[in-house]
Parts: sequence; structure tokens; C-alpha cells
Amino acid sequence: MISNPVLFYIASFILIVFAFLTMFLKNIIYSLLSSVMVFFSAGLLFYFLGSEYNAIIQAAIYGFAVPIIIGLSIMFGGKCSKCEFTLKYATILASLIFCLGFVYVIMMSVSMLPETFNIVGLVKSNSYEVISSFAKGIFINYVWAFELVSLLLTVVIAGLTMYRKKGV
Amino acid sequence: MVGMYHYLFLGLFLFVVGLLGSMLAKNVIKVLIAIEFMLTGININFVTFGTFCDGVNFHGYIIALFYVGIGAVELAVALFIFYLMYQKKKSNNIEKYSEL
Repeated sequence: MISNPVLFYIASFILIVFAFLTMFLKNIIYSLLSSVMVFFSAGLLFYFLGSEYNAIIQAAIYGFAVPIIIGLSIMFGGKCSKCEFTLKYATILASLIFCLGFVYVIMMSVSMLPETFNIVGLVKSNSYEVISSFAKGIFINYVWAFELVSLLLTVVIAGLTMYRKKGV
Repeated sequence: MVGMYHYLFLGLFLFVVGLLGSMLAKNVIKVLIAIEFMLTGININFVTFGTFCDGVNFHGYIIALFYVGIGAVELAVALFIFYLMYQKKKSNNIEKYSEL
């Protein structure tokens, strides 16, 4: 766990400012980009809390997948009165999301190198206890919940695909 | 020194922003983003409790993982419903979606 106040307050400031921007911006694309920043800063907070696995999942799903899905739904939803979404904005959106993800991955990999932060003892990355507890929790303690979530994901994917094939 | 209450307050803040956004926003996409904010705020609280209160089993981390999976499912279904409704209403204003 990293208990550096400067890093925490920087991440908190980014999260608070971009959360407000997400809600108050009129353009839905800018709002979506602000929400990406919120999700990435939340992943950063997970990393500060010592949960690298949650941070990576947060960055991968909420930082990449969810904004791309929402962006695609805006694009397929057609042109509405307030959100003028063109292909130019789609390219900018995708580029920014990938740039953010790239910066995040570089930061994560740099921080996990033993020669960087570990010298001063700030980061204890991927410790055996955390990985072992995750495995024990997912595959032993919460195995039925894990299987249920997997089943739910499968049902949703199969259901939506079959629904679309019916020509709705 | 950053303590547990700092993170809890941040999670609560994000939850409140999401709650207000989901109640007040007119755009359907913005409502969905606000709901994801609420889930992220809850996740921050779970991970905080997992770090500060449970240093052995990390149950909070695992429950946060499940929340991410459930959130992805919820978003996929909600976006599909939005897509179907948009085809009928031709608008993304949530006030026009009162009749399913």
C-alpha cells in the first residue's frame, strides 16, 4: 500500500474534478472522456490501496471496454440534436482512450520494476499473500458466486446475440 | 498520512455524484455513466475495507471483482434496451422513455 498524501490528493483531485465535469458538460463525448479519467483515477486509487489486480481490472474494463461500448452506442444511436458525433470525434475518442491506457500501462510496469520504487520500500507489488488470497477467495470461498457471474455473462452475451439475430 | 476515512469519503463522494447524476441527468448515456460511478464508488469502499480491515483474506478485493463483472453485464443490457428504445423514440432524452 502507498500512503503518500501527495499522490492520493492528486488522484482525488482528478477524480473529483472529472466526476463533476462528466455530469455538467453538455457534449456527451466530452462527458464520456471525463468519465474515462474518473475510472482511471479510481484504478490509481486501487493501486495505492495495494490491490494491483483490481486496478488492472478497473483500467481494462472501465477504462477501455466500457467507454468504447458507450462510444459505439452513441455512434450507432444516430445523430441526435445535442450530440453531434462524427467520425472525427470517434477517432479522437479512440486515440485518447488508447493514449491514456498506454500511459497507465507504462506507469504500472515502471512501478513494478524492482529497481524503481521498491528500493525505497514504497510498493510491495504482486505479493504472494495477495495472489494467494485472491485464488483462495475466487476458487474456494466464493466459487459459486464466481460461477454464477460467469454464467450471467454467458447468458447475457448469448441472449443479446440471439435477440439481434431475430432482427430486432 | 492517508487513512481509511480519506478513501471512504472519496468513495462516498463518487457514489453521491453518481446518485445525483442518475436522478438529474436527462441524457440516457449520462445516466448509465452515473450508475457506473456509483458502482465505482462502492468498489472503492470495498477495496478500502479489504485493505484496512481485512489484511488476511482480502474479501473486499474479491467482492469488488464481482461488482465489476456485474457492472459490465448491467451496462450491456442497459445499452441494448437504450438502443431498442432509441429506435422507437428517436431521442436520447430520458423523459421520453417513460413508456416502455
